Amino acid sequence: MPSLKQITTKIKSVRSTRRIMGAMKLIAAVRLQKAQAALMAYRPYSDAYREVVLNVSALSESDDHPLLRVPEEKTNLHVLFFTSDRGLCGSFNSALIRNMQGYIKEQKEVFGNIKLSFVGRRGRDYFSKNGVQTGKYYSGVNERNSRKFSEELAMALTEEFRSGESDEIVLAYNHFISAISQKMTFERLLPLSTQKTDDGGGESSSDYIFEPEKERIIGSILPKYVQVRIERAMNESLTSEHAARMTAMENATSNADEVIAKLTLLFNKTRQAIITTELMDIVNGTEAQRKGGNE
Amino acid sequence: MAEKLRLKIITPEKLVFDGEVEELVAPGQMGEFGVLPGHVPFLSVLFPGRLRFRTEESGENTLIIHGGLADVKDDTVSILTDKSEKPEEVDVATARKDAEAFQKELDELQDAEPSQIEELDKRLRITRARAGE
Repeated sequence: MPSLKQITTKIKSVRSTRRIMGAMKLIAAVRLQKAQAALMAYRPYSDAYREVVLNVSALSESDDHPLLRVPEEKTNLHVLFFTSDRGLCGSFNSALIRNMQGYIKEQKEVFGNIKLSFVGRRGRDYFSKNGVQTGKYYSGVNERNSRKFSEELAMALTEEFRSGESDEIVLAYNHFISAISQKMTFERLLPLSTQKTDDGGGESSSDYIFEPEKERIIGSILPKYVQVRIERAMNESLTSEHAARMTAMENATSNADEVIAKLTLLFNKTRQAIITTELMDIVNGTEAQRKGGNE
Repeated sequence: MAEKLRLKIITPEKLVFDGEVEELVAPGQMGEFGVLPGHVPFLSVLFPGRLRFRTEESGENTLIIHGGLADVKDDTVSILTDKSEKPEEVDVATARKDAEAFQKELDELQDAEPSQIEELDKRLRITRARAGE
């Protein structure tokens, strides 16, 4: 049985850990709130952008613009993988990595060559040791600099697609559903699907007026669209990360509470045992003395 | 033909406006254009400038938009722009000064990259729109 001193030390250390985790939970909650507000505001914008672009690309031929090109062969796949930089966010990264492994396995049947680029340290740390071809790597992305990072990435990726270095570019990130639920999503960024929409709405190229002419519009909105999608994925991923961290820290805090309760119980029991033993000693001692005095 | 247009002005930061308007005038790259209900499908790239629209409740409205694009379809106009400002929130004097500075910079700019000129031109147009010129 541990001594009283040992138990108090243990309780103290669990308490201080709990305090840190509680603080981290609060920080994550605040950051989640902010990120979520930004994400909710960004979603309509990027959705509207997507709609416009899909509309235009449905009315275009694949040779209207290099970014509409549909590669004849699927050889090089480039996946941009969003994870977090830091841990202590539960199964956030491990779930992402697990899904990613499955995805790579699946895509190996189709593509000859798969390359991974990373936003976030955790994904890179894992895959750089696992024999996967790695490309660019970004870390330190947050809500304030996501615009800048996404612009840089968009430029690099569009150039890669344009030059034919990659035949398909996919974004892999956690889609934020709610504070307790996120879903890993694989989204094809390029090429854009040029398939006509199913509803067959009587729109055809001749009904739509473009100003300036279609080719120039495509040239100016497609690269921007790529940036918008990447920024959206960043926001989704960041929001999910904060949510995951908040949940993880909440669980950790309540676990710590449980541990503290158990230790306190143990402390009381031990103390009681010690008191009982001492009492017995005293009683025995006086008993012995009394008996000795009688003789 | 519907009687009203639905106008949505969306920026990355927020949904600035979503409601019915009677008419709107936007700064297209090929010149200003007006949209009335029943307009044919139309897509235009916008210059930074002033977007004007009229609603039944509040009459004439003006917003400064920082470029973007306008998509007109089924009597719905979606304006996607990087940023929008209300004219009354802008410090006109500073904007004027900035506009002059940009103009000067642009005039002095020689054999620069086209993208650089484009960027500066955009900034100039934004400040001009803010200054109300």
